[in-house]
Amino acid sequence: MKPTTLRPSFTRAWPCMASNFSTFFFQLPPPPPLAHARNIAHQVRHRRIHSSLSAPPPPLLASSPPSQPLPLFLRPPKYTTTVLDLLEWHSWAKSHRRLCRLNWLMEDVLHGFDPSLMRKAVARDDPDVIISSRADVQELYSLWKQRMEERRPFQYIVGCEHWRDLILCVREGVLIPRPETAIIVDLVGDAISKDEGLREGLWVDLGTGSGAIAIGIAKILGNYGSVIATDLSPVAIQVASFNVEIYSLEDKIEVREGSWLEPLKGVEGKVAGLVSNPPYIPSDGISGLQAEVGRHEPRLALDGGAEGMDDLLHLCNGAASMLKPGGFFAFETNGEKQCKFLVDYMQNQLPGSFCNVNTVSDFAGIQRFVIGFRNR
Amino acid sequence: MGRNSRSLWRTLMWAAPGIDALRTNPRVGASFPRPPVAKASFSLPRFCSTEVEPHFSPDLIKIMEQRLSAIEHRSAFLQNLINQPEASPTEYSRANKELRKLRDSMELINELRTKQKEIDGLKTMMDENVEDRDMLGMVTEELDEAVKEEKRLQQLLLQSLLPRDDADERGSILEVRAGTGGEEASLFAMDIFKMYERYSQKKGWKFEVVDITESDLRGYKEASAAISGIGVYGKLKFESGVHRVQRVPVTEKSGRVHTSAVSVAILPQANEVDVQLRNEDLRIDTYRSGGSGGQHANTTNSAVRITHIPSGMVVSIQDERSQHMNKAKALKVLCARLYELERSRMHLDRSKLRSEQIGSGDRSERIRTYNFPQGRVTDHRVGITHHAIDDMLQGEILDAFIDALLLQQEMDAIASFSSSDP
Repeated sequence: MKPTTLRPSFTRAWPCMASNFSTFFFQLPPPPPLAHARNIAHQVRHRRIHSSLSAPPPPLLASSPPSQPLPLFLRPPKYTTTVLDLLEWHSWAKSHRRLCRLNWLMEDVLHGFDPSLMRKAVARDDPDVIISSRADVQELYSLWKQRMEERRPFQYIVGCEHWRDLILCVREGVLIPRPETAIIVDLVGDAISKDEGLREGLWVDLGTGSGAIAIGIAKILGNYGSVIATDLSPVAIQVASFNVEIYSLEDKIEVREGSWLEPLKGVEGKVAGLVSNPPYIPSDGISGLQAEVGRHEPRLALDGGAEGMDDLLHLCNGAASMLKPGGFFAFETNGEKQCKFLVDYMQNQLPGSFCNVNTVSDFAGIQRFVIGFRNR
Repeated sequence: MGRNSRSLWRTLMWAAPGIDALRTNPRVGASFPRPPVAKASFSLPRFCSTEVEPHFSPDLIKIMEQRLSAIEHRSAFLQNLINQPEASPTEYSRANKELRKLRDSMELINELRTKQKEIDGLKTMMDENVEDRDMLGMVTEELDEAVKEEKRLQQLLLQSLLPRDDADERGSILEVRAGTGGEEASLFAMDIFKMYERYSQKKGWKFEVVDITESDLRGYKEASAAISGIGVYGKLKFESGVHRVQRVPVTEKSGRVHTSAVSVAILPQANEVDVQLRNEDLRIDTYRSGGSGGQHANTTNSAVRITHIPSGMVVSIQDERSQHMNKAKALKVLCARLYELERSRMHLDRSKLRSEQIGSGDRSERIRTYNFPQGRVTDHRVGITHHAIDDMLQGEILDAFIDALLLQQEMDAIASFSSSDP
C-alpha cells in the first residue's frame, strides 16, 4: 500500500523521525574489532550456499545441533531496502516500544550505513534511497512481533549480548550472560593481581554457556595461563566455541562437553582457579519467572533443584578436589541465603579445605558471590 | 578583555592597517558594530593569529629584551656549571634538564642576535656610504629584509615566552544544557550540539555522543559528547558560556519572537592519572530493575552512577549496551570535570586581571546571540557579527569566531606579559 504518486511528504509524515534518525545514527559506535568474526561469517555463508545446492549440509562444527545461526550483526548485508520502507517499519515498531531497544536493533541490522545519506534523503524528500541491510524488512517485522507478542528476549532477536567489553553471540538454548556475572571476571582479576602465580595456571569455567566468563578470564590472563570451559549442553558448546573463535582464543580456551567436573579428568589438584555461574533458582521459582527468562531461556541453566543449591554444593565439593593449594574459586548464587549456607558448608562440612571464604555483593547490594582459596 | 588590559594594549601597539581590511573582507562577511578595540590600537589581519605581525612598541621590546638577556645569563650559567668537573650528578642532571627546556628559546635568541649584528653592520655601512646612491639602495633593501626577519624572530620569541595552556592540545568534553525557554531552549540546544558535531567532522575530529536527554519535542534537555583529536580544547575552549537564541519557536502560534538560552561547557579531556583518581574515592552504583536480579531477570536497561566522594561530584550514564560502556563513559566525563575543577581552582589563585580575560570559564557569561529574524550571529566578547546564521549552524563559519577569539587571547596574553614585572 505504497502509492507511487502522491506520496505524502516524507519529512512531514515523519518529522520526528528526521531528527531522530540523525541523532541515532551519529551515535553508532565503531564496529567491534571483529575482523576475524567477519571471516568466520564469510565461511559460514559459503557453507550455507553450498548446502542449498547440495544436500546434506555439512555441519559447521563437530557437534550434533544444526549449524550456528549467525547473529544479525555478523550476517552479510545482502538485502537492500528503501529508506521509506525502513522508516515505515521503524515507526510501526516504535508504536510498540514497550520493551524497546529499537535503536540497537537498527545498529545491528544496517550495514555500512552512511548517516549523511539518510539526512540527504530526508532533506530532499527522497525516500527511495536504497540502503543495504543485514535483514529483510519483512524479517524485521516478524522479529519485532516476536519481541512484543512472545516476549522473546531482545538478545535472542539480535543474536548477541554486549557484556563487559565483549560482544557475545547467544541464541535459544544458551543463557544470556547477566551484567552481574561480569563481577566474577573482576574478582578473578583481583585474585590474580594479588598472586601473580595464579596467572600462569589453569582456569576452569564450569557451565560456561555462551563462554562469557571463560573469554573474560582469558583476556585478563593475557599471554599467560589457559582456560577450560565446560558445559553439558551441546548448544552451549557450539555457541561458546563460536565466541571463542570470534575472539581468536582457540589456543587459550578449550571447550569441553560434559557434566560439571566430568570433563576435568586428569587435572585434579592442578587447577589455579575454578569459577561458575551454575543454575541456582529453586525449582518452584521457575514458573514465576519473567516471561523472557522463564519462557525462552534454557531451564537447564536456571533450575538448581529444590533449594536451588544442588549444583552449587556439587561445585563446592569439586573445588576441594580440583583446586591446587592456594587456588581461587568464585561461584554466583541466588542471594544472601545461599551465600550464607555455602560459606557455612565450606567451613564446617569441608573443614580445612578452604581459607578466606567470603561473600561478595553485586551492583544492587545483594550478596551474590561466594569466593575463597584452597588451603595451602 | 578587561579595561585595564585594553588600555595597556593600546600603549604597547602601534597602528596598523589590518582592521579596515578585516571590516571589508567579503570572504567572512564580518562587520564590526563596535570595534573590539580602538582602531588605532592594533592590527587584526584576517583573523589568523599566525599571520599577526604586530609592530612592537619600544616598551614591549624593552621588556622582552630584559627577559631575553635573563634567559641568556641563565643559560650561560648552567653551561658553566655543567662544564665544571666538581658538579654533583644531581646538580648536573638538573642543570641539563633546565638547559634542554631553554634550548628552543636559546636557538631563537642566537638567531636574533646574529640578525641584530647584521642590522648594525648594515646601518654602519649606510652611514659610510651616504654619497653612493647605488650602494645605499642595495643596503637599504638588505636592511629592510633583515629588519623584517628580526621582527619575525621577535614574534616567535614573544610567543614562546607567553604562558601556554597545556590543555590546549587535548581533546574535550562538550556539554550542552537547555536553559531558560523550555522546549524552545531544548530545540536550540539540539541545534547547537549538532553545530559542534558538524564542525568536528569538518575538522576530522572524532565526535562521540556520550549522553542525550531528550525533551518532549525531541529537543535536547542535556547532551554531552567526547570530541577527540589534536588541539580540540585549544580551539573550542572559548565556546563555554551562555548562547542566546532569538527566534519564533516552532511551538509558537502567534509568530512572536522568543529569547531563550543554552549553556555550553567545554572541558579538556583528562584521564585517571591527570586527576589522580583513586578507586577508593569512587562509589559506583549500578542499576538494574529491582527484584532478585541475577538469573531471574533479563533486562536491557542499564545505568551507572559514579560518585566522586571527596568532591561530591556525580556522573550518571545510562542505556549503553553494556554496563562496561556506561562506566567507561561516566569515568571519562568525571575525569574531565575533576580536571576542570582543579584548573579553575588554580585559575582563582592567579591575578584578577587574568580572570577578566576571555576563556576564564565563567559559564554564566552570555557570549553569543543567534538572532534568526535578522539572520545574524553576534559574539559579545569580540563584538563580531556574521550574517550567515544557517552556515553557522552547519558548522561552516565557526572558525571565524574561533580565530578572532584566539587572536584576542594572544593579545591579552601579550598585554599581561608586558604589564607583569620581568
